[in-house]
Amino acid sequence: MSTQFLNFIEIFINGLMAGIMYSLVALGFVLIFKASGIFNFAQGVMALFAALTLVGLQTGQVPFSHLINAIFGTDIHDWGPGLPTFLAILLTLVVMIALAWLLEKFVLNHLINQEPIILFMATIGLAYFLEGFGDLMWGSDVKTLDVGLPSGGSFWWEDVTRTWAPEDADYWGMYIDKLDISATIIAVILVTALSLFSQYTATGRALRAVADDHQAALSVGISLRKIWVIVWSIAGFVALVAGIMWGSKSGVQFSLSLIALKALPVLILGGFTSIPGAIVGGLIIGVGEKLAEAYIGPMVGGAIENWFAYVVALAFLLFRPQGLFGDRIIERI
Amino acid sequence: MLYREAGDFKTTYRADEQTFPIRSERWLFWTVMVLAFAVVPFFINDYWNKAVLVPFLVWALAALGLNILTGYCGQVSLGTGGFMAVGAFACYKIMTAFPDLNMFIVVVLSGFVTAGVGILFGLPSLRIKGFYLAVATLAAQFFLIWVFNKFPWFYNYSASGQITAPERTILGIAVTGPNSLPWATYLFCLAIVFVFAWVARNLTRGRMGRSWMAIRDMDIAAEIIGVSPLRAKLSAFAVSSFYIGMAGALFFSVYLGAAEVTEAFGIDKSFLALFMVIIGGLGSILGSFLGAGFLVLLPVLFKNIMVNQFGWPTDVAAHLQIMLIGGLIIFFLIVEPHGLAQLWRLTKEKLRLWPFPY
Amino acid sequence: MNVHVHPTQEFRFMRPDDGIKQGDPLLVVDNISLSFGGVKAITDISFDILKGEIRAIIGPNGAGKTSMLNVINGFYHPQKGTITFRGQKRSRMRPHEAANHGIARTFQNIALFHGMSVLDNIMTGRITLMKRNMLWQALWRGPAETEEIENREIVERIIDFLEIEHIRKTPVGRLPYGLQKRVELGRALAAEPSLLLLDEPMAGMNLEEKEDMSRYILDVNQQFGTTIALIEHDMGVVMDLSDRVVVLDYGRKIGDGTPDEVRNHQDVIDAYLGVSHD
Repeated sequence: MSTQFLNFIEIFINGLMAGIMYSLVALGFVLIFKASGIFNFAQGVMALFAALTLVGLQTGQVPFSHLINAIFGTDIHDWGPGLPTFLAILLTLVVMIALAWLLEKFVLNHLINQEPIILFMATIGLAYFLEGFGDLMWGSDVKTLDVGLPSGGSFWWEDVTRTWAPEDADYWGMYIDKLDISATIIAVILVTALSLFSQYTATGRALRAVADDHQAALSVGISLRKIWVIVWSIAGFVALVAGIMWGSKSGVQFSLSLIALKALPVLILGGFTSIPGAIVGGLIIGVGEKLAEAYIGPMVGGAIENWFAYVVALAFLLFRPQGLFGDRIIERI
Repeated sequence: MLYREAGDFKTTYRADEQTFPIRSERWLFWTVMVLAFAVVPFFINDYWNKAVLVPFLVWALAALGLNILTGYCGQVSLGTGGFMAVGAFACYKIMTAFPDLNMFIVVVLSGFVTAGVGILFGLPSLRIKGFYLAVATLAAQFFLIWVFNKFPWFYNYSASGQITAPERTILGIAVTGPNSLPWATYLFCLAIVFVFAWVARNLTRGRMGRSWMAIRDMDIAAEIIGVSPLRAKLSAFAVSSFYIGMAGALFFSVYLGAAEVTEAFGIDKSFLALFMVIIGGLGSILGSFLGAGFLVLLPVLFKNIMVNQFGWPTDVAAHLQIMLIGGLIIFFLIVEPHGLAQLWRLTKEKLRLWPFPY
Repeated sequence: MNVHVHPTQEFRFMRPDDGIKQGDPLLVVDNISLSFGGVKAITDISFDILKGEIRAIIGPNGAGKTSMLNVINGFYHPQKGTITFRGQKRSRMRPHEAANHGIARTFQNIALFHGMSVLDNIMTGRITLMKRNMLWQALWRGPAETEEIENREIVERIIDFLEIEHIRKTPVGRLPYGLQKRVELGRALAAEPSLLLLDEPMAGMNLEEKEDMSRYILDVNQQFGTTIALIEHDMGVVMDLSDRVVVLDYGRKIGDGTPDEVRNHQDVIDAYLGVSHD
């Protein structure tokens, strides 16, 4: 194989891996949209919040220490050596579930029957709120997150791929981050678990019923409020997973919340209601973005990653407004 | 008893369709205008000008623009920051290419340039709706910022990548640049905002406004009774971008003086404008002003109380502020989705009946 | 001697001059078929609507009545067949173009603009008749204002006619169902249409409201000379109001003629009462 082709494969694989990360965020969006018709703009901030909380618990930070210090003139930072990773993850999950419950009680419950676009804007408000809240609670400095996942390039893969190139070529093998490989495995497990859950459990069936028709679900005795808490909890869990993966990769900081924006083109491509759509859409965007950066980027001065995905999604949308896996829209009056 | 409707009869349709149908309201409006034009300029100082009045006027103009698109035509846009950048860079290019051009004309021309760009990015709205469109406008935001970053022609090949507003005068008085006086910049912005708020009122009260609102309320029915979605949506995008472009031009040339595109016109500006429109009131001219005033004053107030009074670190204050703004957005959407403007309307209704409850 | 002038006499100007003589076909539907994916909504339907008549379209639920109206005003595009309106064969047409050609309609589920007042809703109905461009509107004083007031006068007459003066500035969302239906009729009338399509104008109304609405429909037809196509389930209303009736069932035409003819048509009776298969 020629070096160029090997480079192409490397970019392609890295694109797929990046795509998996996008899918993880997109998945959270899809879950909530399916069950409640809410386009949750705060999904990315939820991931950030989860990651912040996890790091805070892991390192034994005192929550709101900055605020407390500011008010009482004290100087407190840590309460101890911190929690073991496993316990910290579990506690963070509890926090996310509590968050879902509070959200249902204080926000969603009061916005029932509002137009979708009002709900959308409410989640933008939520994103701001959570961002401020998270920073206030744990501080806004960049933190490193280490939950013990292997990271760094995979030497084994490098060695294998080096042999594919011609003998005389100046080729050092493909670089693939071990973290990305774990992310892929985790994403596969997560999606499988979610599909099993929604197919084979009573709660899952109720979720699908609500997704299909709120009124009908209510009339057969499904509690909408309970379902919403469950869905937002699951979305919180997905956010936690995404937060761990993204946080381990690039540190826990404000820009983490911007990955939510990366997930939007994925959703457009895959459709707002399709879990396979979120996965495939994520892969397409990931690959497309990396290829474009490598091959089109140099022609126009680079850094096109920020908007390229949107343009792809948009072009796609113009020809197929319902997304890859959506049903054809028949308008009625 | 000051505010009443009784005895205020209308005998023509023209009288019935005026902006302030009630006499005391007209009085209130013109009093405020006289204060703004003839009294404030004598008392204005640099702090009030830079921290409150000019940003208020500029953001009111931007909110007005976004309100036309989102509040009147129902198309949610997250690209306000990007369109403001178009206005700013158009303003910069025109200012430097034609140094003798009157600043009023420069600002209006910047608006027209932005309107053109707005139409271009409004095209997807003909095929897609709702969230999908919101995402499409995000594409505009990122793409535009990238363009202004990547192509040095836009910032005249300056080494820092910044654009800096040169000094321009109106009747010999500087309104941009470091030598401009507070009252001059204030009156310059006020004049533009006054004229175009009036234009916005005219556009929204007549045929065009009704075609926008028809698309907003029920697009299919609107099309069936004869509203062309193409013309309604694209005109909304054009007019909206025109306003936002002018706001961007003023934001850069009068308020900032020098700007770096990613920092000055990032996505947070898009959200800020959207919040102003929500808090102020979707589909209300007055609401755009109330929302802008609220969100311009809030941080000033916060900073004064928390940092200057309590001596808290600025980052804690900033976090609290973000949190509170987010909370307020949710609060308003729950309690009063039509914003401050609706609260004002309700107050008026109560006043009209006062002292009786019904 | 007292001469009683009916208020609708003022509407003489609203009689649209579309070059078709009274009693000639205004709209001819020829061999229309419409399907969504594999589902056939309408199969080979032909009928005509004569100028000046009230034409009822009836049939059981799901017979394709609303789809037929949607085809006539360009909202759906049939796979097969032609539509000739005012003597012109029509190609693919967007709904707002149909509106410009003089087809107005009301909807089965009220489709008013809920954020607007009654007055604004009806004014919106005149959108195809208002021509001042954006620049004039931005200035307002002058042509735009004059045009607005001229149109307001016409709209006020419609408001008089429909007896909804007291609610003209009320947001439509606050109105009861029956009044909303009336406002919707007003909005359609404001366009001064040559053909008015009414989709179940009396659905969900009580007897009194039905009588009112029937009176408005007859008045519109007689005073303005507007041709009306009407979908209705109440057979009493249909038989009283309409000049001719077309009956649809499962997307096919099974009857066409005067109310009496249709009433005694065996296929129609079968469709409504069911056929015994023993």
